[in-house]
Formats: sequence, structure tokens, C-alpha cells
Amino acid sequence: MEAASPNGIDVDEIPEDKVILFDEGIPGLPDCHRFVLLDLAPDSAFQVLQSVDSPEVSMIVTVPWLFFPDYAPELSDVEQASLAIGGPEDVALFCSVVLTPDDKDTVFVNLMGPFVVNPGTRRGCQFVLAGSGYPLRAPVKLPEVPA
Amino acid sequence: MLVLSRKQGESVVIGNDILVTVLEVRGDQIRLGIDAPRSITVHRQEVYLQVASENSAAIASADRESPLLRRPVPGAVAKPDLEP
Repeated sequence: MEAASPNGIDVDEIPEDKVILFDEGIPGLPDCHRFVLLDLAPDSAFQVLQSVDSPEVSMIVTVPWLFFPDYAPELSDVEQASLAIGGPEDVALFCSVVLTPDDKDTVFVNLMGPFVVNPGTRRGCQFVLAGSGYPLRAPVKLPEVPA
Repeated sequence: MLVLSRKQGESVVIGNDILVTVLEVRGDQIRLGIDAPRSITVHRQEVYLQVASENSAAIASADRESPLLRRPVPGAVAKPDLEP
């Protein structure tokens, strides 16, 4: 069976207890429900959110507080209830990252649409924080890579 | 697309548990009230599409071999903690 993704990850080899379930899918990808979080490289500030359902679907993600220590997204009661969040221990949060060809040393973090996962249930959701004032593309300048 | 005419104060029912009510009509603005189960998310379309578009951009630009992303960033090594 051809299971390896273009990224060399065999999605059939991912243990079920590592899977994060996005019941509603995510905006733009309503049919991608199962994801897994993978390391990119040792000590990298970035990880990979990999779809288990569609191996070609993955995105780079990061913990936003590494770069935006004042980031304080507020989840509504409805949003908290949707993931059975009772307290801070029920929240793992990360944001997607966009690279652009024009910005060699800058990446852009989506602070408006954070991914929130309840580690206890391994269910997640991408919340759309409309009206929060947080941008879709918050620039992060990274240390330049020596040529 | 189903097209219905509604007056102020009237509603439409979607499925068994979603109720959309026209609360107010003022000029070219219409205020809607939406009663839906907690599991149903409701967004203004333009905001939702922005996030969907940003997800597409994140997927299209996801370069795992990028040296920029693979290098350690001093003081920035935390990972999402998914352990219960």
C-alpha cells in the first residue's frame, strides 16, 4: 500500500493516541479531521501539523508566545465548551506559519486563527478570533541563515 | 440556493436546531439573530474566508527543509504540550 506522504511520513504508522481530532475540520479544509503534530528539527521553534486523512496537507506551526509574549487570545464560553475546556491545563495552543518568497528571514504567524487542542481529549479546533484585533499575518524576523 | 422572503421578526429554521431570526432592517443593513447548538460555529463570511485563505497559504508554503525554520531560535524551544 502506498501510504507515505510527499513529506516522507507514513500516515498509517501514526499511533492512534497521537492523533488530534478536529471534528469540524478547519476553515478551507472541512474534510480534514485527523491531524498529528510532528517535530520539524531538534530545538526548532517550529513543528508540523500534518493531516492524517490527506498526506499532502501539512502546515508549519509554532507556539506564538515564543515570539509574541503578550499574546492573550480570549476564548468565548461557547468556544471553551466546544472543547470541554475547564481550565488552562486543558489548552494547548499553536498558530500556523506562512513563508513568503519575498521575505527571506521573516515568517508570518496567524494570531487571528489559533489552533487550540484539549490534551485530555485530543480534540481540537481552529478558532476564528474575529474582533480580537490580532492579525492574520504577524511578522517574525528570524536569525538569518548564513549563506 | 433556496431563496426565502422574511420580514422583521420572522425566522427560518435550519435542520432541527438552528434558528435564524431577522431582528432589524435598517437601510441596507440587516441584523440577524442566530440560535444554534454550541457545536455549530458561526462567522461572518469574510473573516472565515480570510482564515481559510491563510490556511491555504500556510499549506502551500510549508517547507520542512527551510533552513530558516530548522535552525534553533535562541530562547525559543517550547513545543505545544499535548500530554494530558
